[in-house]
Amino acid sequence: MKVEALNHFVLGNKVAKLPIVQGGMGIGISMSGLASAVANEGGIGVISAAGVGLFDHQNKQDKDRYVIALKAEIRKTRQLTNGIIGVNILVALSNFHELAKAAIEEGIDIIFAGAGLPLDLPSLLDQDSSTKLIPIISSGRAAKLIIQKWVSKYGYIPDGFVLEGPKAGGHLGFKKDQIDDEEYDLEKLLPQVLEAVKPFEEMYSKKIPIIVGGGIYTGEDIYYFMSHGASAVQMATRFVTTEECDASLEFKQAYINAEREDIVIIDSPVGLPGRAVKNPFLEEVYNGLRHPFSCPFNCISTCKKEQAPYCISLALYNAKKGKMNNGFAFAGTNAYLAKAIVSVKDLISSLKQEYLDAFRKKLSPTL
Amino acid sequence: MFEKLQDLIANELSVSKAAIKRETHLQDDLGADSLDAVELVMTIEEEFSVTIPEDVASNLRTVGDIMNFLENNL
Repeated sequence: MKVEALNHFVLGNKVAKLPIVQGGMGIGISMSGLASAVANEGGIGVISAAGVGLFDHQNKQDKDRYVIALKAEIRKTRQLTNGIIGVNILVALSNFHELAKAAIEEGIDIIFAGAGLPLDLPSLLDQDSSTKLIPIISSGRAAKLIIQKWVSKYGYIPDGFVLEGPKAGGHLGFKKDQIDDEEYDLEKLLPQVLEAVKPFEEMYSKKIPIIVGGGIYTGEDIYYFMSHGASAVQMATRFVTTEECDASLEFKQAYINAEREDIVIIDSPVGLPGRAVKNPFLEEVYNGLRHPFSCPFNCISTCKKEQAPYCISLALYNAKKGKMNNGFAFAGTNAYLAKAIVSVKDLISSLKQEYLDAFRKKLSPTL
Repeated sequence: MFEKLQDLIANELSVSKAAIKRETHLQDDLGADSLDAVELVMTIEEEFSVTIPEDVASNLRTVGDIMNFLENNL
């Protein structure tokens, strides 16, 4: 494989100039601003559907407000870029199907679906749809199962997978004891997933690209995974500290101020572990000082609302808005590495340079 | 039929057959995760030549739930 420069990422009939997918970040962190900026630089920009329309108080009574808000966000992004854009929809959202359908109707290029197994996602496509479907997984076993299910029920082969390792930010698809277990390192999981999809690629004569994410921060990281069989990388955390990122300055500043030990694992009310930047709000939760709330949303099917000390959607929305006293920032393992806010254009240039340096170092390790 | 289902679950989830009763909860009692559940459904579909719709599959919590479905659909 030719890896001396970051090359194109081919996804069927769609081609991104760069093999970089900006990971979806909710609530409200990757919206039209960030997604369009990444797509304009040749990567794949991703809107997070989590919480879209949830806080739209004007249309509070309208049960279609989520679909309306997601469609509006997709259109807004489309006006800002001709590049490739995707939407990230949590399978655990109680309106997953409505949102996925809405995105397909808007002609979104790609749906990324994680936090659960999107077993019936292909049923939402119709003959004219050009949307690609990419599940987010954390094991080769999940890849195999989804392929088998989709092929047997819908005759549909996944257009690719995002393999998200345990160093990612936000909700994680691993048990707590697996997160620091090196057996679950992304470097170990990638060969297992490549192995799992290989027989199907041969059987159906179709490439199933694997996009790796979770802890990828530098061009050197990109080089490592691309030279070990990944077709592209998913990066989210590094895009937070950009001018175009849709989060508040306070949210971005939480990354810049963070030290390595501030990036911690929490128990999210939705029943999954999550990675976040420690702050007084989370410490209050940890010390039992936050108390159960009444849930106005019913937004996540797995949420343990009765026992939850706080509403995850509200806490993340507050953080997006900069109200860090009543919320917190999800973040990947390497969030503490951010030192300044830069433009997406400059960030992509740095990544290209870092990638090239890694490649040259590999050629002549003594340099 | 119950015995066949017991065998199948014992095999899929690597648990003892004796631990599998109608009221046994797949996740809480047998430690099945979401992937186990999907694999189990696929095996049941194959072994009993039956199709389990997605919305039904995602609501199968106990061994009894599976038995009820099989009894009503075979």
